[in-house]
Amino acid sequence: MKTQNHIYLFMLAILASSVAQADATLDKIRSRGVVAAGVIVDSPPFGFIDPKSGQAGGFNIDLARSIAQRLGARLELVTVTPPNRVQFLQQGKVDLLLANMQLNAERSAILGYVPTAYGEAGGGLIARKGSGIKRWEDVKGKVICVSQGSNYAKPLLEQYGANVRGLTGMPESLLALKSGSCAASVHDSAPLHLLVSENPEWKEYEMPVSKDLIPLPSVIWVRKGEHDTEKALDQIAQDWYRSGWLLQETRKFRIPVTPELLKWQARYPVAIH
Amino acid sequence: MTDWLPSLVSGAKHLGLNYGFVLNPFERTAWLSGIGVTLELVALALAASLLAGVGMAVLLTSNRPWLQHPVRVLIELTRNTPVLVQLYCAFFVVNMLLNRVLDGAQHNPLTAFAWVIIVLSIHYGAFHAEALRAGIESVPAGMRESAASLGFSRRQLLWHVELPLAIRFALPSLINNLINLVKTTALGSAIAVGEVTYTSLMIWTQHDNVLELMLFIFLVYGLLTLLVARLGRRLEHRLRMPGYGH
Repeated sequence: MKTQNHIYLFMLAILASSVAQADATLDKIRSRGVVAAGVIVDSPPFGFIDPKSGQAGGFNIDLARSIAQRLGARLELVTVTPPNRVQFLQQGKVDLLLANMQLNAERSAILGYVPTAYGEAGGGLIARKGSGIKRWEDVKGKVICVSQGSNYAKPLLEQYGANVRGLTGMPESLLALKSGSCAASVHDSAPLHLLVSENPEWKEYEMPVSKDLIPLPSVIWVRKGEHDTEKALDQIAQDWYRSGWLLQETRKFRIPVTPELLKWQARYPVAIH
Repeated sequence: MTDWLPSLVSGAKHLGLNYGFVLNPFERTAWLSGIGVTLELVALALAASLLAGVGMAVLLTSNRPWLQHPVRVLIELTRNTPVLVQLYCAFFVVNMLLNRVLDGAQHNPLTAFAWVIIVLSIHYGAFHAEALRAGIESVPAGMRESAASLGFSRRQLLWHVELPLAIRFALPSLINNLINLVKTTALGSAIAVGEVTYTSLMIWTQHDNVLELMLFIFLVYGLLTLLVARLGRRLEHRLRMPGYGH
């Protein structure tokens, strides 16, 4: 992988020797005038298809729009799913991923990321009212549905002894919960909170566990070694905090403002004009 | 057995391949059981689809319209819609209705595994039935008449004359269908049946080692289909009747 990157960089250095101040991704974005962002559209409020306009919208998509605007490029939204998103990035189909991907050691070994996180996400559990699940420990031996590629599969299985089933995506997992094939579903807690609090179709369901499962920072992912892209995007992410826009957006989409997010906000205080 | 495993994994790492998951007992067991589940799926769906195929073929050629027509409709319906759609429909819709009728999921004996067997058996049963029908209809009228003149009943005629010949005639198509069936068991991953595609998918979404597992999956399915094709070929030779067919 490393040698491949070197060859890639070398080729680009020859091709673009006149303007080679930035890395491959940033060069590509600037020369094409387009930034391709991989987003997930089946997980409101992070990303969803607006039923009225048919357009993609959501927290992650707003962030992608802001990045494109700041880079002075046109935004190209590419729909990805948890099982294919890393390949989309590695194969160059997208320049960055704003796809609900949290920071972990295994990912950061093969991908690059923007150090300033744009949010924090942990797992929430949704179950039919009266399921008997009150704490994470209660999932032991029960069938728990997740999306294929979910971070939560591993702790549910290895730490809590659940019988984990991975369905192709969150809609399928929730459908399986409704059809009674699983005792509970575990996904990012923000979209689930939205579901049980606002959607009358889910009034029979609740989120009985108050603590989130493995809360981790959500970050923007780029290809490994694209340090200039990382730096440019990190500047943009810091500005989201400094302008107060990130907190506004988080609240606008009713994503819980966690203590960790407030801590990051304190690091980049909102500038008073 | 774990002595040589770490050195094999680190050897693969030098080649740029991340097979680290085989050192994690959870993931190793899950992955190996995935191969087991695929084998179970193949064995059960293969047998059940052949039974369903013979049954449908018999009804199709029965000359009784009230038996023929419903089977014809079923065949057209299953043959002409995608297996994945049928599987989703069975698992999400029919299963939910069944849960309601049975008053709760805990009383429903049909698991996702069972639904895959059911859907695949009917789907490939329909293809088998068409192949067998062609075989039954290719039995020369003279042979049928000779059997009838020897006093064979309709049932005897079917079991002792028509089906033995039909199976010989249909065998290449039946083996084709069965090879397809082996490959289609991978669709079980869509409804979280823990077969080898599913377990690999669950591992590569954690470790992002897609290439490494893809190589494994290709090998597993390649060997399985090769086995089915070889067995089919051998069966063709065993059943060969000089002077009939090839």
